[in-house]
Amino acid sequence: MKKLLSAMMGLTGTMMLSGQAVAQDIRNPAAEWEELWDIVIFDITIIGVIMAIAAVFFLIRYRANSPDQVGSARKLTTVQSISFALIPAAIFMADDFYLAAKGWTVWNAYRNVPEDAMEVKVTAYQWYFEFEYPDGTLVEADMETPIKIPVGQPVVFRMTSEDVIHSFGLPHYRVKEDIMPGRQTYVWINPIETQNTAILQCAEFCGEAHSQMANLIHAVPQEEYDAWIAEVAAEG
Amino acid sequence: MSTQTTTAGHAATPAWKEWILTTDHKRIGVLYLIGSMAAFAVAGLMALIIRAEQMELGMQFVESGTEYNGYLYFHGAAMILAFLIPGLTGFAANYFLPLMIGARDVAFPRINAFSVWLFYFAIILALLSFVIPDAPDIMWTGYPPYSITTSANTSFYVFTVHMLGFSSILGAVNFLVTVIYMRAPGMGWNQLNIFVWTTIAAFVLQLIFIPVLAAAVTLLLFDKYLGTHFYDPSAGGDVLLYQNLFWFYSHPAVYVIFLPAVGILFDIIATMSKNRVFNYKAAVYAGIWGIVGISGIVWVHHLYISGMPDWIRLGHMVTTLLISIPVGILTLSLWGTLYKGAISYNTAMMYAASCLYLILLGGLTGIPLAIPSMTLHLSETSYVHAHFHFIMALFSAFALFGGIYYWFPKMTGRFADGPMATLSFWLNFIGVNVTFWPLFIIGKEGMPRRYWDYEMFKDAQVLGYSFEDFHKVATLGALLIALGMILQFINFIWAAKNGKPAPANPWNSKSLEWTHTASPPGPGNFGDIDVEVDENWSPYEYNNK
Amino acid sequence: MSRTRTILTTALLGCALAAFPAKAQYGGPVPESDIDPAVFHIDEKEFLGTKVSKDFTLIDEQGREFQLADKLGKPLILVLSYYTCDGSCSVINQDLNALLDELEGLQPGTDFNVLTISFDEHDNLDSVGVFREHLKMTEKMSGSWTFSTFKNKDDIKPFTDSIGFKYFWSPQDRTFFHPGAFMFLTPEGRLARVLYALNSDPQDIKFAVFDAKAGEFKPGEAIDYALSLCYSYNYAEGKYTLSIPLFVGMGALTVGVSSFAVSVVVFRRRKRGRFSS
Repeated sequence: MKKLLSAMMGLTGTMMLSGQAVAQDIRNPAAEWEELWDIVIFDITIIGVIMAIAAVFFLIRYRANSPDQVGSARKLTTVQSISFALIPAAIFMADDFYLAAKGWTVWNAYRNVPEDAMEVKVTAYQWYFEFEYPDGTLVEADMETPIKIPVGQPVVFRMTSEDVIHSFGLPHYRVKEDIMPGRQTYVWINPIETQNTAILQCAEFCGEAHSQMANLIHAVPQEEYDAWIAEVAAEG
Repeated sequence: MSTQTTTAGHAATPAWKEWILTTDHKRIGVLYLIGSMAAFAVAGLMALIIRAEQMELGMQFVESGTEYNGYLYFHGAAMILAFLIPGLTGFAANYFLPLMIGARDVAFPRINAFSVWLFYFAIILALLSFVIPDAPDIMWTGYPPYSITTSANTSFYVFTVHMLGFSSILGAVNFLVTVIYMRAPGMGWNQLNIFVWTTIAAFVLQLIFIPVLAAAVTLLLFDKYLGTHFYDPSAGGDVLLYQNLFWFYSHPAVYVIFLPAVGILFDIIATMSKNRVFNYKAAVYAGIWGIVGISGIVWVHHLYISGMPDWIRLGHMVTTLLISIPVGILTLSLWGTLYKGAISYNTAMMYAASCLYLILLGGLTGIPLAIPSMTLHLSETSYVHAHFHFIMALFSAFALFGGIYYWFPKMTGRFADGPMATLSFWLNFIGVNVTFWPLFIIGKEGMPRRYWDYEMFKDAQVLGYSFEDFHKVATLGALLIALGMILQFINFIWAAKNGKPAPANPWNSKSLEWTHTASPPGPGNFGDIDVEVDENWSPYEYNNK
Repeated sequence: MSRTRTILTTALLGCALAAFPAKAQYGGPVPESDIDPAVFHIDEKEFLGTKVSKDFTLIDEQGREFQLADKLGKPLILVLSYYTCDGSCSVINQDLNALLDELEGLQPGTDFNVLTISFDEHDNLDSVGVFREHLKMTEKMSGSWTFSTFKNKDDIKPFTDSIGFKYFWSPQDRTFFHPGAFMFLTPEGRLARVLYALNSDPQDIKFAVFDAKAGEFKPGEAIDYALSLCYSYNYAEGKYTLSIPLFVGMGALTVGVSSFAVSVVVFRRRKRGRFSS
């Protein structure tokens, strides 16, 4: 699954590089997240390995031979002192801005909701989520009763809370946003393939049953979604 | 300085009374040490219960979610507010800062005594929450509206914060005045130990930011018990304002813990490698004060998923990433201090060396969390949990324990090193890795924080193993730490009475607390003659090259 | 909670009564008692964030057809009203007119648009014209405030329902009862904030426009935007109130610094005392 995602991401990446990306291209934040994760982990691993090797080398190489031995490092000249502050600072800053730029790009994918996204209203309660579909159908979900969304259709969740702060955590789609009383927040996802394992969990401490506030979000073919929403609407 | 000589003078006063009524900074330091270690022990026990509960799916050890939440609350609040901050800025600063600057006591000894009393009152109040029927269950963050609507007793949290905050402000004022006015004649600003610098930086942060936290939690109290609506959005309050005020203090609070720990690390490493601190001025003015300068404008990275306006989140991404510059400069100085050193190994140095690993691991794993788009997924997962344990909790605790081994001969006249110390070090070091690495891995796949159960993930697999398997490994690690810590405490108590006797300056340090005082230092610290230093003196000058 | 709305409803009813002197002379029971103010409550929890439907055509005062989307792209203040009464019932529009006249810092037309739509199917170009005469719109507003009617009268009800706007015709009073709401839409057409006529200051309008822009602001608006952060929307009163905790928190910043200053003074005085004695 993840391989497929990153493969697809690679594909979108090349498309964006080769031809000018068309404005209507719907981005896939989850895949872009994975790509950014790889970049960041690569980045910090390099820094970490260099520093770790240096530390281990120093710790072994500069052991004292006798109790009276003292270190032999020289005092830094003023120029050396300033250079040893400014050069690393410049390197770190360059890396910071590189990561910030990458992070910003992915941020835009997360925050710019596609024009045609399906709107689902989410109301959080202690301790469950309630969903209102565009046709007004209300679904109260739990681990036994999943909600369904049509595959290939971007969905935006407009969220508010009726009591305390909750959080809409959806690890499968690599996204999360708090749900607060008196405020509206949103999360959008791009379900590019069907799945029946995505777990929606509350990710902001909300009391006694916080760790049981969860339900599944299935991404299903359009026909199955239509049948499901009709069935739920009929029941409700 | 007539006040402190009277405290230890009267032989007729019973010892316990002498300790309680003491105004001697060293005894106050020891009182802080005992109190913070007691808090560490109780909060550590909570951690074991938490880990045991998470080991398997379903509910095994606790009776209810609320009970578990109570343990989580106590673990977080006690570790941060009653162990790390008082251990570093209470114990270490109280005992060693006056010695390092050649002062016979702090500027206001009686206020200092009052601070430690407040600290003990706060600990007692916090412990009382175990005997009341509705213990606080609001996490150490106490976010409204939950902390207002919960049936639990939020006031315990608020009053504990008040007392510890007041205690910290008094301590901060006291030590800042002490460092400014009571340095030994001839001691310039560039001749201070790094630990002195980091401690005053930590106290500056406490002084500026703690009142904000105190104000924020006070309004919480009003909302819950007096019916005001400061944080209630349905009546004009702002639900996010508390979080902003809270983290406006509590992110700097991370540096209140981190900085003194770095200071201890510098002092151990410089002494043990008999080397001058590499690029001292950059470490102090760019590193330490750089962190202080930037600490007040990064707090929104705790609110990346809290619906703050996009421009604030992106702005704080940049400031948060820029923390890497002062921290990087400090790290380079640490590494450079080893370069061409003459390193001798003992338990203190082993803890210091492990801190180098912890600062790398904890610091670098924070970089993804500085980026809002990464945090949209990682926030509130056990990845965050592992990250801040490595950088804040473990790094600082290891530095503190290293410091205890380093200064043990000074405080007791005996060494704490030995096979038991080495064994407990390795148990602790292996234990923290076994505990927190699995949490990084499952955190990236979505394991949430603050869950007593993770039933919904029962089918999830990472690298072919279930979340439960990872939790079992983590719990095993916690047991290793528990064993290591128990051995460590036994070792400390045993060594204080029976350890190998130590000379006044066993590590051949150049720092004043070793060169100018007996072990342990007597009343007034420096005998009859006041300490003076010349302009070439430095605590780190081992060679003249 | 509903006190403000009661006042508001009373005010609107007052207008209605004033518009029909005969009815007032009749001296019947004030219809206030018949009307539950809660009816006019736009349930913000339910409707904030709702994307208003845009698939209908409107007709402006010159008879030109346009879409709601044409007015978007910047925040939009939407007023639902009707034109047929002889002027005084346009109290919402008059109030808004006065508020916008006093508004400083934001420019109607450049920073936001204003649109009044009639929900009365009997309104037409003539009644709009008469209505505009009565309104005596200020110079500042002309061009950025559009008065319109629905082209297709069947679109009215679905639209008002979609944003939770309730109104009804009272044959007894020969008037419409409706909430005096200024609805602030985001540039993409979501309901961001609701304020109420006779209950708002120009400053409230400004903050609501900032809310509609969801945290975006131009450099020149930085001070106004910063000011808006000191206030939070009060659902109970339907207006903005000062965030007291923010000021308590900022005030607390001085506690540590001043206690440090005091102790420096005390310490120096003590030191001096010791040397002189």
